[in-house]
Amino acid sequence: MDGAFAQLSMLGSSVVLIAGFLLLWRRGLSAHIDAFTLQSVALGATTGLVAYFTADVELYWVAGLLIALKGIGIPLLLRRMARRFGTERELAPYVNTATSLLIGALLVLLAYIVMRPIVQLSHLPTRAGMPLAMGLVFVSLFVIVSRKKALTQVIGFLMLENGIALLAVLGTYGIPLIVELGVFLDVLMGFLVMQIFVYQIHETFESLDVEQLNRLRR
Amino acid sequence: MVAAYGAGAAGALLAGAGRAARVLSAAGAMVGAGAGLLLGLHALAGGAVWALGVPDVVSVAGGLLFRLDALGALFLVLVSMVAAPAALYGVGYSAAYEGRYSLRWLGAMLNLFLLATSLVPLADNVVTFLLTWEAMSVASYFLVLTERDRPETVGAANWYLGMTQVGLAFLLASFLGLGAESPALDFADLRGAAAGLSDAGRGVVFALALVGFGSKAGLIPLHVWLPRAHPAAPSHVSALLSGVMIKLGIYGLLRVGLDLLGGGPPWWGMLLIVLGAGSAVLGVLYALMEDDIKRLLAYSSVENMGIITLGVGAAFLFQSLAMPRAAALALAAALYHVLNHAAFKGLLFLGAGSVLHATGTRNMNRHGGLIHRMRWTGPCFLVGAVAIAGLPPLNGFFSEWLLFQALLPGIGVASPLIAVLMVLALGMLALTAGLAAAAFVKCFGITFLAIPRSDAAAAAHEAPVSMRAGMVALAVACAGLAAGALPVLATTGAVAAGLFGLATEPPAFRLWLAFQTPAGLARMSPPAIVVGLLGGLALVWLAVRAFASRRPLRWADTWGCGRVEQTPRMEYTATAYAEPLRRIFSAVYRPTEDVTVDHHPESRYFVQSIAYRASILPWFERYLYEPVLARVRRWGRRAQSVQSGSVHAYLAYVVVALVLLLGVLLATGAP
Amino acid sequence: MSGLGGYALALGQAGLCLALAPGLIGLIRWLKARMQNRRGAPVWQPYLELRKLFAKEVVVSTNTSWLFRLAPYVVFTSALAVTVLLPILAVPLPLDGVGDLLVVVYLLLLGTFFLALAGLDPGSPFGGMGSSREMTVAALAEPTIAMAMFALALGAGSTNLGQIVARALERPAEAVSPGYLLAFTALFIVTLAETGRLPVDNPATHLELTMIHEAMVLEYSGRYLALIEWAAALKLLIFFSLLANLFVPWGVTASPGAGALLLAALIYAAKLAVLAAVVAVFETRVAKLRLFRVPELLSVSFVLALLAITASFLSR
Repeated sequence: MDGAFAQLSMLGSSVVLIAGFLLLWRRGLSAHIDAFTLQSVALGATTGLVAYFTADVELYWVAGLLIALKGIGIPLLLRRMARRFGTERELAPYVNTATSLLIGALLVLLAYIVMRPIVQLSHLPTRAGMPLAMGLVFVSLFVIVSRKKALTQVIGFLMLENGIALLAVLGTYGIPLIVELGVFLDVLMGFLVMQIFVYQIHETFESLDVEQLNRLRR
Repeated sequence: MVAAYGAGAAGALLAGAGRAARVLSAAGAMVGAGAGLLLGLHALAGGAVWALGVPDVVSVAGGLLFRLDALGALFLVLVSMVAAPAALYGVGYSAAYEGRYSLRWLGAMLNLFLLATSLVPLADNVVTFLLTWEAMSVASYFLVLTERDRPETVGAANWYLGMTQVGLAFLLASFLGLGAESPALDFADLRGAAAGLSDAGRGVVFALALVGFGSKAGLIPLHVWLPRAHPAAPSHVSALLSGVMIKLGIYGLLRVGLDLLGGGPPWWGMLLIVLGAGSAVLGVLYALMEDDIKRLLAYSSVENMGIITLGVGAAFLFQSLAMPRAAALALAAALYHVLNHAAFKGLLFLGAGSVLHATGTRNMNRHGGLIHRMRWTGPCFLVGAVAIAGLPPLNGFFSEWLLFQALLPGIGVASPLIAVLMVLALGMLALTAGLAAAAFVKCFGITFLAIPRSDAAAAAHEAPVSMRAGMVALAVACAGLAAGALPVLATTGAVAAGLFGLATEPPAFRLWLAFQTPAGLARMSPPAIVVGLLGGLALVWLAVRAFASRRPLRWADTWGCGRVEQTPRMEYTATAYAEPLRRIFSAVYRPTEDVTVDHHPESRYFVQSIAYRASILPWFERYLYEPVLARVRRWGRRAQSVQSGSVHAYLAYVVVALVLLLGVLLATGAP
Repeated sequence: MSGLGGYALALGQAGLCLALAPGLIGLIRWLKARMQNRRGAPVWQPYLELRKLFAKEVVVSTNTSWLFRLAPYVVFTSALAVTVLLPILAVPLPLDGVGDLLVVVYLLLLGTFFLALAGLDPGSPFGGMGSSREMTVAALAEPTIAMAMFALALGAGSTNLGQIVARALERPAEAVSPGYLLAFTALFIVTLAETGRLPVDNPATHLELTMIHEAMVLEYSGRYLALIEWAAALKLLIFFSLLANLFVPWGVTASPGAGALLLAALIYAAKLAVLAAVVAVFETRVAKLRLFRVPELLSVSFVLALLAITASFLSR
């Protein structure tokens, strides 16, 4: 039983990480939103998996919330924003695609090196997926730093949150429902604030290019 | 051996110009090489160690001491293997130098260079080593300077001399550090003394030796002399430089690092792996962008030295992690690649020299169609190109296969940093292999295939007999190293095992059709592959002849999409061939392009000429060497002010120095 | 499985691959045609084409040399040599000790090398362009193949093909492990790149619109073209066999009986058909990438392969 649990959780974590890499590879905004949707659903599925194997009812609720909020709700909002601001393609990022993919891979390797002592200490069967979650955190940070479009950066931030949630699920079999609800609320508020900002940026500059923000200096 | 080389040098000096001189010097070199080869093979096969001491010469530092052990014998065989064909080649090649440059000097220096190079692996104390090393460097400097009326040759030789002297300084410092404790400077004593050094001390000695030997071996970032010096030298000298001399950098590293110091902490191996992988990838990337055939080969040497260093680094690493069998395998793979590279790089340089001899230019964009006119050089160069691309059934493939297998155990190591490093190293090695294949398709294809791109290429003639013989000899050596992979590997394995204190490990290398690597990781049979491929080729050919149409071949023009005639302007050029890769790796190359269009004076609608200039950013020269050189120049100018020209100032210096010396003596209490 | 029976099996394998390869190409073409609402040529059309080509006259350009006439033989022989080494019907293979995965990869690279040279020989710009781009794609695909192979090899403890298959047969659960799946995806992308399928190259057109493989063989005709086309089909078959038998090895027997071998051959053909269907659907769905997007795709496959190694091995 444990073998299947470990393999399936690893599978789920891999899908979550690969969805993060899709953000580095594809340039279209709708592709980014699809990647985020995939990632959230995979995260929800992994949480449900952990819930099933640990017979933890609360986690089922968490999984459901994840899928409802991040798999359906937020992508809906994102698509509305995308429609309003036009389906603009991502501008050439600071680092070109092939190089950013390679840097992403190196970040995942770094995450392995960093998480090695923790993985060795843990006894849970899901421990093998923790470095992948950490890798997602690094990759999301890299996305936020290296992409020029505000919406992509927002999606990067959301993926960062996904990564941390995955780390919690794999490392400690999730966190209590109350805490999870609080985190969700925070994320939602943050997202709404960002939505306002994106709207303002677009109003001022007619584009979502974050580089334009330095025009505010003058 | 010494006598033969000496005779060759003397003969060259005495006979003067003319065919006799060339033949004499070449004959001397070949006999010397033969003697060296026999000596080396005898030592390898017999396993006996042969020692000779000449204490009277340079007695102040312990006299000259020679000792031939397994490692040294291997490198001696290496030197001799390439020296004989290169010397033979030189007979025909230096005919072009008659009357323009001094042939006596060339012959004498060649023999002296070969003598010194053969003696370096035999040196058994510091004095002998440094003496032979310096003799080798100086002789090669003069050889590089042969064509001295070309300005770029002089510049190249200056770079070369500068870097060898800097390397020598580092080597001196390293040996001094090693021998600081012990009074004598024999290698035997140094081995014992090294055990007494502190860890930091060993690290310093290793680092200094790495700089010194690494600059000779052409590791990044100390490689800048290679692409300048190797093209500037006469081709048989280039073959020797690339095939033999840079390998002695590896020899030195092995001797000091493994033999004298006895291996060290993991960071030594990791540093070597990083430098090796970096050299390999950067070397091949720069090789891809070159239009000058000899510079391409020089950068390819940098790449292969990187691969060898990767293997050596893995050996050091495994040894520090107490995995001696894996270490021996890695080192055996690296040594096998050393032999292979000497053979096929020597062959390629001789071939390039042949092309240069025939067309008068090294620029590949002026070559083309040479395979029709040079019926011997073409196939020989093809053999070299297939070998260096690491393709079966030739020798490059077997050593690369072995290197891959040797690196695989590293992924299972406990430390995650090392495992990740091994994974990345494997990836870079694979990338290098692919890019090298692309580079040599470009090199061979643009130079030899299709139609001539210039009149010189259209009028090319085949090389004279001696040159052809030299090339064929090395091609046969390549094939021999491939077909005879098992005995060669057994020998290098024995050498490597000896270095790691494993008594000969016959179970690790089964001596017939297949060999099995330790840890049961893989099996391959080189002879079966060679036989299978060649036999299969023959079978397929026969089958097609039997079953296909009997109609004769019809010759026609290349399909032209409706154009009227085909000119050389329509062919792909060397620059164009590598252009996709230049764009893909533009982050490394930072290419700059400049297009100037000259319009007709009457009207802007008519174009008279278009000039296109493309260049890539020379990272190391601009960001590493230029600042250092600028700083050195500045200090030199400041130091110049000491030489004021006034006699009183000089007298004052002497007095001050005397006073200081007396003060120091008083302070330390010496009588 | 040793001795004469073993060698007969190896030869039989090679023969089977030779026989199936053109059919595989025909199947993919037929499936694509059907999906595009056409009737399509019958599945055995490539066999007829090969027969026709062997009977035709050979026209050779005056600019070419003996290398041009040698290259088709080298390309074909190297592909054929690989089929002898693959685990197709049974393990352990008799020629197991001759070559392993690395040998397979480099034999294929040998074919590519000579094909690229042959593209340069006639001196036409098409050939040069195809040759240059083919070597670019091949060079960039090398690290991915190496990494995917090492992911498999590390799991099995050897790069030996028979051992990888045997190991996967022993432990079925590992076949769905993320490491294997990632390596499968990476190898699939590389298959598309190396065999000149969409989205890297379009095998259906024959001119400059097709950037890579077809441009190199433009000057070939008659039996040379037949050999090269057959070799290309073999290469596709080889990659499919690697994908099928290394990752989903059930069907490869361990017993040498005639019945077992026949069953193994049928299962093998079925696996090939499934892969052909997948590729056909994929090719119908995607558009060809611009040349300079191909390195991005290959980077993705490299990253997947790297993740495969780390997921399956580093996390132990």
